[in-house]
Amino acid sequence: MDIRLQRVDANRWKIPRTGAMRVDGLIFSNEHLIKAVREDQSLQQVANVATLPGIVGHSLAMPDIHWGYGFPIGGVAAFELQEGIVSPGGVGYDINCGCRLMSTALSAADVAPSLRELVPALFTGIPSGVGSSGVLFLSKAEEAQVAVRGAAWAVQQGFGTPEDLARTEDGGAMPGADPAVLSERAVKRGLDQLGTLGSGNHFLEVQVVDTIYDAAAAAAFGLSAGQVTVLIHSGSRGFGHQICDDFIKIMGQKIHQWAIELPDRQLVCAPLTSGVAQRYLAGMACAANYAWANRQVLMCLARETMLRTLGITPRELGMQLVYDVCHNIAKQEEHTVNGQKMQVCVHRKGATRALSPGHPLLPRIYREAGQPVLIPGDMGTHSYVLAGAKGAMLETFASSCHGAGRVMSRSQALKRARGRSISRELDDKGIVVHSRGKKTLSEEMPEAYKDVSQVVEVVHAAGLARKVARLTPLGVIKG
Amino acid sequence: MSKLKLGQSEIKLLNHTADFGVVVRSPSLEDLFQDAARYMVRSMVAFPEGRGVLHRTHLDVCSADLADLMVRWLGEILYLFQGEGQLLAAAEVEEITSAGLSAEVELIPFDPALHEIRFEIKAVTYHQIEVAEQDGCWEARVIFDV
Repeated sequence: MDIRLQRVDANRWKIPRTGAMRVDGLIFSNEHLIKAVREDQSLQQVANVATLPGIVGHSLAMPDIHWGYGFPIGGVAAFELQEGIVSPGGVGYDINCGCRLMSTALSAADVAPSLRELVPALFTGIPSGVGSSGVLFLSKAEEAQVAVRGAAWAVQQGFGTPEDLARTEDGGAMPGADPAVLSERAVKRGLDQLGTLGSGNHFLEVQVVDTIYDAAAAAAFGLSAGQVTVLIHSGSRGFGHQICDDFIKIMGQKIHQWAIELPDRQLVCAPLTSGVAQRYLAGMACAANYAWANRQVLMCLARETMLRTLGITPRELGMQLVYDVCHNIAKQEEHTVNGQKMQVCVHRKGATRALSPGHPLLPRIYREAGQPVLIPGDMGTHSYVLAGAKGAMLETFASSCHGAGRVMSRSQALKRARGRSISRELDDKGIVVHSRGKKTLSEEMPEAYKDVSQVVEVVHAAGLARKVARLTPLGVIKG
Repeated sequence: MSKLKLGQSEIKLLNHTADFGVVVRSPSLEDLFQDAARYMVRSMVAFPEGRGVLHRTHLDVCSADLADLMVRWLGEILYLFQGEGQLLAAAEVEEITSAGLSAEVELIPFDPALHEIRFEIKAVTYHQIEVAEQDGCWEARVIFDV
């Protein structure tokens, strides 16, 4: 399929419906960012998603779009419940990969003298890396509780407070989770990975708020200039990977009976009305809840490490959860399509929910400001806190971008990093980094990512989410 | 695209923006499956030859076609590492058709003191998966989620 891209305005590009596409593609991007998008295969992926049964509105892509597998990363698509489908590949292997931001009562000056002790202490205190085991070893019965109750299970075990749940998407527990649908392999892989960061692009970052764009929203989120924050990026670990993998294989065996033509086998899916789709959604919810419990535990491990290393009291640290939001998920939500309210299954694959002010699903504390949208950048520049805006409700099924988005393959990044010390380069910028290996740092080096500020400018200008605060890294740990 | 040799096969790395892809080219279908699995494991973990206690086991994998077989076979090898902590040291495919394969595999328990982890592969994907015979050789294209 030849991809014809039409510019709509400064921040929107359209792929007109052709061939098997059921709807147009709509990409949020600017003149600069779209150049890299044209060079990989992500536009083709936007068009492929547009061919899936029951898709409504547009096949959407956020400005951090890049080539994924099946769906593009940064892709959003909503499907009507009677004719539509759910696609495990449209959620991704790392179900409920997401971000959690905590504010503190500390300033950068409070942390700076201890940063070289704090970052290695965080690295030691928070299990990370491939297949790492956590501080918790669950029985199968406990794992089932985690899968159903999510972050609330962690709170009950002493990891955090009930107030944290109101500051977590879906209260940290997606309804409909059913551990009975899980394979033995999935169950086994979840037993020892709760409270682990993972590897690759997962990280924990100590940051400072360097700019406030929207004072009222920042105040509502508990953010102020000069304040230290902590950002965690992690997901459902091997538990979620296995659940996705299991259902891709199950649906692959059944796809012919539904007569669904797939332009890419990774887009394998099942009609939402089918039993297998319902079982996948029940399993996906288990993984989503596991991920929320995981980030709840990780937050507490970070808090304990900071208290111990900085030698301060909980009151002096003043750590408070700002928000926890997922960016790999499929959810049944109500949206307005062609002027009519309807229930749809929204897939967000590398995209963040962004509810606008006043939305009934928002906790009372954020109802006026809108939902906090957490956008991690690369480890050498900035991250952003945004607030959901009206445009997202109108155009993107309440979705925004999820990060900077890669622009360079891992092998290109390794080549570019040859002969350099990425760790020293970051250190020269005042950012202390601790990682398991040089290779991860090279693959994840700042140049491998798009300019996150440009990505954020697009969603801000397009009215999907508005800028609230900018965060600069002080210290980073990576698996 | 960089190239390297492994066993009887030639491996080319694909420049995928977010993930990790390879094209494996081999003189036979058996070599293709054996070497794709060995390469996948060696790209994740560096381990010295001849160290660690080997044990042998038998694997049977069923499939709808050869491309499906490649994803399922590599998925089994990946699970042995991720779920069981066993690294593939060697594989001998004894029988292979588009409906499945039988193989004898040699495994070494993963030992963090001996084995250096290079990076994580989360899953073997069906994205752009291909297995085909070309000019007397077998070629597979596989993209991994990392």
